[in-house]
Amino acid sequence: MTRKVVLYALAIGFALYLVVPFYWIVNMSFMHEVDAASVPPHFLPHDPTAANYLSFVNPSTDQALVGSNAVGDTPYAVLNSLVVAFSTAVVNLVLGTFAAYSFSRIQFRGSQVLLIVYLLTRMVPGIAIIIPFYLVMRALDLLDTYGALILSYTTFALPITIWILKDYFRTVPRELEDAARVDRCGWFRMMWTVFLPISAPGLVAAAIFSFMTAWNEFMFALFMTSSISSQTIPVIAANFATDLNTQVTLMAAAGVLAVVPPLVLVLICQRLIVQGMAAGSVKG
Amino acid sequence: MTITAVDTEKPRADAAPRPRRGLGDTARAYLLNAPAMIVIGLLVAYPIAYSFWLSLHRYNLKLPALERFVWFQNYVSLISDPTFLSSLRVTVAFVVVVLVLTVVLGTALALVLNETFLGRGVLRSLVLLPWAMPGVVNGLMWRTIFDAKTGALNGLLLQLGLIDSYQAWLTSPSGAFFITAFAQVWNTLPFTVIILLAGLSTIPGEQYDAAKVDRAGVLQRFTQVTLPWLLHPLLIVLILETMNAFRAFDTIYVLTGGGPGDATNVIAVLNVRTVLTYTDFGLGSAYSWVITIVTLVISIGYISTLYQRGRIDV
Repeated sequence: MTRKVVLYALAIGFALYLVVPFYWIVNMSFMHEVDAASVPPHFLPHDPTAANYLSFVNPSTDQALVGSNAVGDTPYAVLNSLVVAFSTAVVNLVLGTFAAYSFSRIQFRGSQVLLIVYLLTRMVPGIAIIIPFYLVMRALDLLDTYGALILSYTTFALPITIWILKDYFRTVPRELEDAARVDRCGWFRMMWTVFLPISAPGLVAAAIFSFMTAWNEFMFALFMTSSISSQTIPVIAANFATDLNTQVTLMAAAGVLAVVPPLVLVLICQRLIVQGMAAGSVKG
Repeated sequence: MTITAVDTEKPRADAAPRPRRGLGDTARAYLLNAPAMIVIGLLVAYPIAYSFWLSLHRYNLKLPALERFVWFQNYVSLISDPTFLSSLRVTVAFVVVVLVLTVVLGTALALVLNETFLGRGVLRSLVLLPWAMPGVVNGLMWRTIFDAKTGALNGLLLQLGLIDSYQAWLTSPSGAFFITAFAQVWNTLPFTVIILLAGLSTIPGEQYDAAKVDRAGVLQRFTQVTLPWLLHPLLIVLILETMNAFRAFDTIYVLTGGGPGDATNVIAVLNVRTVLTYTDFGLGSAYSWVITIVTLVISIGYISTLYQRGRIDV
């Protein structure tokens, strides 16, 4: 009995810990600026307004000047983030599938070393490659384009993609491939029609990982972008933070906007993520 | 998540690669790996080498005329630089605090989620919330909460009668330090919980039944059954969270910008400032290399521990 009480107390405590901070910026994002500055604070917006969200589409003159046009830039930044994150996920899946398939199906010399090398590249902090990366992208004339971001995020996400996929691919029964071969089905067709559809949970888990890596990344985006033609939402959100005249309610609304797309994605795919990760990940 | 642990005694009939005839297998495998190897080689290996080369130069974008090869001068000037030494101390303290909090909170949360209770599904979904939050937004969020004038925390504590005047949390050095660590932990907790939860789900129920027959208490069951099974996932958590904490940047950058004074000026923040504000690419590369070497040494240490325990499977 006491055990149940302790359990529920802990569960409720953790639920509050996880939700309350986020609730606070959601709450602020629906407030008027005056209410947000009131003492004591309102824990519910007493006159809720969507004005902050609307001003991203149609900023007033003084709002437009906040954080080097952060307000007007927000919708474009969300769009940029979506394009970059989806592209990163796709590129990672394609490159990762080839590599992971080889680890799951072929016994070859150096496979262990190669896997560890992939893993070690993930251990290298991004900051260590950012300067050469910048110089290379400048030489290739890719600065301030999606290309520079997609390429850098691929290097972050690819090792993890390969590790997740190789674990998942190993759970796919080999008989299915053999059957396809008997039917004189080529490798690419076998992959496309048989192997990959079965591997969907692993592919989804890996894709979400790449997507999140790209969506959340800030440092490279800060270096590689200079205008709204490629700036992602973390960069624009940081502009709100560094501007001293910023409106907290607008900043909160931008923050909420930056969380919603990945949150929706994660919640929809929650089951597949767990399934995909559980395949190999931490079997002890 | 990235490192697979498999019971070494247990052969995996279906999963293990089947030996195949033909000389072409190795070639085929490398062909399949070629795209990934090319991308990683060009975008990681080459930049790493190049950044080392840069770190041996005096190279400041603002002073192109002074550019020249200076051997290890950048590194020597680092070791004697009080800003660097203080940021190293801050970073190590930050990593330790974050690791302790993450492990304690993560284990507790994973243990709760491993029980059956009403609303477990909801709590499992809620755990994913911080994961979906970019570090920059995480920093923004905690700034609005800890704000001295309009923050939620001051208002709440005052209404509860726990404080009698508004506190400027982020302007005291120790306050700012613990708040950034706390914010970092909130942001990275989901990852820890997912890994530990996956580890917990593999513990056979009979182990607990046996412990119950032996009349083991809750605490004994935890130390005798749960903890040994959890050691491996905990090691993975330690690897990942050490890396994350060592290069923690975005949350801190937005929350305190390294201040007040040098209280939260971790090495990654210092590194970015050297490169971005002072455009000192030579010294900045030397900073990067120090971070790289430290993280590599730690990861190799962890990975070899995993190997010794015979719990790595590649």
